[in-house]
Amino acid sequence: MTFEEARDYLLQKAKALGIDAEVLATHTRELTIQAHGGRVEEITQATQGGVGVRVVVEGKTGYAYSEERTPEALDWVLQEAHENALLQSETGGFLPAGSELGRHDLLGEGLSAPLEQKRQAALELEAGLRADSRVKQVQMTRYSESETQATLGSTQGVAGAFRNGYALLLTSAVMAEGSSLKQGYEFDLSKEFHTLEPGRTVQAFLQNTGRLLGARPLKTGRYKAYFEPKAFGQLLGMMGWFLLSAKNVLEGKSLLAGKIGQKVASEIFTLVDDPTLPGGLASRPFDAEGTAAKRTVLIENGILRTFAHNSETAQKMGMENTGHAARSYKGVLGIAPTNLFVQPGQGVKMDEGIVVTDLMGLHAGANPISGEFSLQALGLKVEGGEMAYPVENFTVAGNFLELLSRITALGTELEWNPMMGIVGAPMVEVAELSFAGA
Amino acid sequence: MLDEILVGDVLHRARLGGADFAELYVERWRRRALRVLSGEVKEATSGIEYGAGLRLFYGTEVVYAYTNDLSPERLLELTETLVKLKGSAGQVDTQGQGGLDFRKAVAQGLHTPAIPFTARDKRYRLERVREAEAGAQVSPQIKQVQSNLMEWEQEVLVANSDGKWAEDRRVRTRLYVTAIAQDESGMQTGVVGPGLSVGLELFDRYSPAEIGRKAGMQALTNLRAKPAPAGSMPVVIGNGFGGVIFHEALGHLLETTSVAKKASVLSDKLGEKVASEVVTYIDDGTTPHGWGSSEFDDEGLPTERTVLIENGVLKSYMVDRLGGMLTGYRPTGSGRRQDYTFAPTSRMRNTYIAPGSTPREKLFEGIEYGLYAADMGGGQVRPGSGEYNFAVKEGYIIRNGRIEEPVRGAMLVGKGPESIKRIVAVSDDLEMGPGMCGSLSGSLPVEVGQPHLLISEIVVGGQA
Repeated sequence: MTFEEARDYLLQKAKALGIDAEVLATHTRELTIQAHGGRVEEITQATQGGVGVRVVVEGKTGYAYSEERTPEALDWVLQEAHENALLQSETGGFLPAGSELGRHDLLGEGLSAPLEQKRQAALELEAGLRADSRVKQVQMTRYSESETQATLGSTQGVAGAFRNGYALLLTSAVMAEGSSLKQGYEFDLSKEFHTLEPGRTVQAFLQNTGRLLGARPLKTGRYKAYFEPKAFGQLLGMMGWFLLSAKNVLEGKSLLAGKIGQKVASEIFTLVDDPTLPGGLASRPFDAEGTAAKRTVLIENGILRTFAHNSETAQKMGMENTGHAARSYKGVLGIAPTNLFVQPGQGVKMDEGIVVTDLMGLHAGANPISGEFSLQALGLKVEGGEMAYPVENFTVAGNFLELLSRITALGTELEWNPMMGIVGAPMVEVAELSFAGA
Repeated sequence: MLDEILVGDVLHRARLGGADFAELYVERWRRRALRVLSGEVKEATSGIEYGAGLRLFYGTEVVYAYTNDLSPERLLELTETLVKLKGSAGQVDTQGQGGLDFRKAVAQGLHTPAIPFTARDKRYRLERVREAEAGAQVSPQIKQVQSNLMEWEQEVLVANSDGKWAEDRRVRTRLYVTAIAQDESGMQTGVVGPGLSVGLELFDRYSPAEIGRKAGMQALTNLRAKPAPAGSMPVVIGNGFGGVIFHEALGHLLETTSVAKKASVLSDKLGEKVASEVVTYIDDGTTPHGWGSSEFDDEGLPTERTVLIENGVLKSYMVDRLGGMLTGYRPTGSGRRQDYTFAPTSRMRNTYIAPGSTPREKLFEGIEYGLYAADMGGGQVRPGSGEYNFAVKEGYIIRNGRIEEPVRGAMLVGKGPESIKRIVAVSDDLEMGPGMCGSLSGSLPVEVGQPHLLISEIVVGGQA
């Protein structure tokens, strides 16, 4: 059975059983070329897909999915979804009414270059890194691309499909100088293969990791912090989105609950999520329930304007649906950002403090429920307006909401990072944070 | 799961295309997940995952493909595509005879569950989860409890062009309870989540109410905890999941994935003293019903008990097939992958520091000021530099040899090879704890473990 046949089979069976159902099918093709020691070490080609159903029975919602597309497997899926729904104590579940959303292509011919050029890109990236004598080991160098086709349909009339994808150059390597070792990574991500330039990624790596060599211990204390876009993007993707998701608000996990219209950040801080951004890596025509994409200002000049909603959370909170429904065929209805970014500001002028270039251990050291974080960081000490020397073996700690309210300046340029979703940020200056080192 | 002739055909065609070695991995999962928040079923999902991964070696060059269309036509087509992807560099073996004579290895049922995946209905499961939730209500300050019940059943077939054919069935069950305590000072969490290679008899080994109670108590402790101090100090790390520090700081550095590329600071150090002599470190894939156990690894080799470090001396690495080819070390049944979407690499199974001889109380004696990390959260390591970080989930100040007030938000940071030299004493109270380990070949169930132990000096990142 093809994915569309599986979708139609499930919708027909559901109708026959009198069950409301929404079927999401995705099909992904991936290619990864890994270079090591001047040759292609590993090539992975993949096709993977599946169908996931969300059913509503007596106002109760249940889910199930399958990658196997035989009638037996799909029948098991409907039966399990039905049983899962009946377990719910909560009623009031519904599937949004929808319409024909059309078929959209957001990728075009961006990945159509011949395989040989892609192999070369991976090899050039690795060779470029090795050419610098300070690069001690190149741990991983890869070119990868991904192309996804998503199909949505429901017994309530939703029907639509779109295709999207990206190409990525990624490397992780160790640089050494004297007894100092630093492991770093670098990437370049685009919807067009031909815009990737291995040489540019090499230079970025050498610059970003090389400047950390010879790092000295940092003295424990409170310092002004200058977060580079990558570091701030990691924190924002992990903590910020958690706090803004209406699902977490409804579950009582968000510190921002009840704060709509209130000041929650510095007045220079504006946070936007925009799935309609032309060429945006996370752009899409509609969300996982078929709600049309639109731009949402979440925090405007420090004031919390809205949470991010899907149809369920919007109805429960009596607010407008922002179209942030997200679901993989394996998953349940959730809320996810698209192109999430901090509006750039007037610029950052450094005087004294620490430039935080990278954060590590976010899954363990950042607790979005309490807002507290204590993270291993890499960075540079700033003295007298200049980057004086690199520092290591320290953590930066604080509370995320306090951090937002202490933002004193924002850089003028937006930089996009795919580390925790697709997050854009400028350089972010924070008045004072606690750093722990030697 | 797949017809023997078809499997033979795929492997044979790959060899004809010039591959030195071909391996087909086929699996079918059935999974159930139940998430209950404050008495309400928030998510109940079920799913089938089904797919195959084909791996070809040309010398030590690897090509990998996976798909979840397992029809004979698509599998053979995939094989052809993969051979073409490699280009024409391989030697074409036109003399290949085909018709592989598989030597079949059958699992003995060492980890077979007492209560299978299909037994009991969903109501039974929900009732057990509700017991855990009730158990967590240890105080009015417990505002929320979230419980996740996960059940997996995985059927695996590994066949390769050497004639290996291994089938395994792995069942795992885990209950993960998070309690949230709140007062005017804020919100804090407590997390307890036992898991084993068992079915629903997990609830006989760990009473749901007790799991809940522990999570509730931990949240309360963190609520009254003060921010952790910052600076360098002696640290006693608790037993069980405390072992995550050495999983991160030591275990990952002993996988051939890093060792073969000399990307690990512990490469080429067999026979050398790499840790304090009180340290013996073992990775055991055979522990009956262990969360990280299986009868065969994902390359079809029987798992084994591997002594990595004995009394401070490095004895073995964790070796997969490719790692073995690259380093010359014998494979240790350590080839693992999350699922068919990943090629296998060398990975940990159930890894622990062996019990020592120091009584637990003695560890604290003589510490004027330090940290007792009673329970740990997750962490991370960069094998190239050995730099690691990990979060303390439940911590206390040690003052003049006594465990005193609780502290929260502590983060331990350092370099693994330095920290293992600073282990000055190991207690005799070994315990294991389950976790999920993320690395190149995906996210895998592993156990980490250790007895209580004392590290003479470590950087604690806190706020105070």
